[in-house]
Amino acid sequence: MKRFAFFPGCLIPARHPAMEFAIRSTLPKLGIEIVDLEGASCCPDPIYFKSKDKISWLAVAARNLCLAEDIGVDIFTNCSGCTATLSETYHLLQDLELRAQVNERLKRIGKEYRGTARVRHIATLVRDEVGYEVIRQSVVRPLEDLKVAIHYGCHLLKPSRIMQVDDPNNPTVLEHLVSALGANPVRHRNWYLCCGKACQTEEVPLNMMHDLLGAVCSEHADILCLICPTCYGQFDHGQMKVSRQFDEEFETPPIYYFQLLAFAQGVPYDKLGFERQRFKPECLRRFEMATAETAAPSSGDVHTE
Amino acid sequence: MVQGRNNSQETVRVDFRFRRELAQKLEGNLASFCYQCGACVGDCPATTYSGTFNPREIMLKVLYGLGEELLTEDSILWQCTNCYNCHERCPQEVKPVEVIISLKNMLADRGIIPPSAQKIIETFETTGRTTPISSAVHKQRERFGLPPLQPVPMDEIRALIEPASKGGDTA
Ligand code: SF4
Ligand code: SF4
Repeated sequence: MKRFAFFPGCLIPARHPAMEFAIRSTLPKLGIEIVDLEGASCCPDPIYFKSKDKISWLAVAARNLCLAEDIGVDIFTNCSGCTATLSETYHLLQDLELRAQVNERLKRIGKEYRGTARVRHIATLVRDEVGYEVIRQSVVRPLEDLKVAIHYGCHLLKPSRIMQVDDPNNPTVLEHLVSALGANPVRHRNWYLCCGKACQTEEVPLNMMHDLLGAVCSEHADILCLICPTCYGQFDHGQMKVSRQFDEEFETPPIYYFQLLAFAQGVPYDKLGFERQRFKPECLRRFEMATAETAAPSSGDVHTE
Repeated sequence: MVQGRNNSQETVRVDFRFRRELAQKLEGNLASFCYQCGACVGDCPATTYSGTFNPREIMLKVLYGLGEELLTEDSILWQCTNCYNCHERCPQEVKPVEVIISLKNMLADRGIIPPSAQKIIETFETTGRTTPISSAVHKQRERFGLPPLQPVPMDEIRALIEPASKGGDTA
């Protein structure tokens, strides 16, 4: 088992425990041991608190990285916002002058940032530390003929100088992750747009989401797969809002990738919290029926080994 | 395209005080490298979906020192979606989005923060999280077999976000 520190952030543990459950259920099956970080705070968020005071933002982020450094493990995040903050902090603090300045602040709480803990988004982590083939082998319920639209969002890939994950102009990581489940990924024409949540006016995100949803819809995908809880909110609650405002029917259920993986690994549909979604991925139930016929009992425990 | 200048004036007077204040902010000074090519504009969703936002123009205003046009109550800066496309595209590594966030820091110094953002900032400054925890949250977590969330050590967070005493530590 490879050990990694789990940085859950704020949104997933509080609002979307089903996503956290899915992460804790799927990673051990892929040979990854989750180490919980004691005393972690908000990353802090790269939109609001960063806009108030960048240096304080950097100091609190550095403290979170210190927690992983202190136990000698690398970090993975499960949200694009946390990924943005922690990856940028890691990158910025390679500048020794800035690091010294941040360490002046950390001295107040008896900590020192050393730059030894690497940060990765969970999607990148499983690609690099597990590999598509092992993911494929963990699937007991191949999602054959499931058409999955992909949403990359802002910060898995960009800025590529910092993230160094994939080609930001033609990424493939999510397509491969979805294919590993036996499903068919589809790229819609507005795939490069973000979710718009950070924007503090009505007009921009509303019109942007309208274009995004129009593109997703025209692919007739069964579901939309994403890797960030903020994007999820925009595509769940937000999708309803846009449908109402434009009087059009958008109804592609969004799914966080690790819930989809958990389902493909055999966790029952009813244990994955889908009933709380505004757009429910009922289309998945047909795979449950298919496996029930070929009889493969499966467990939905958190600490499956 | 830069509006609000006094038309009777032939030359632009650069407000260096504004430029110096921005340069105090982390990566605020990067705008100096902007050569106005416009590469940051094409993939900017805020430009596409709003009539008023344009990262190249914002950089130009910064270069001219026309800060007061940007630092207003209804500032266009908050239209930015933080998508990082401009950071990706800029051949000069200006990181327009970071300059925009530095400008927001200047807005915050002047006490101007949109109420929606202010609420989240306050939640963070009082609880160490941006999403408040309630008994409903614990109940939901329990349903999924997840342990209750622990409080964040706020003494440490408060100590870290306290400005330095001599004001000299804003990068
Ligand atoms: S891409 Fe860079 S150099 Fe070109 S206008 Fe934008 S900020 Fe300036
Ligand atoms: S980060 Fe802001 S300014 Fe840059 S491209 Fe995105 S919306 Fe435009």
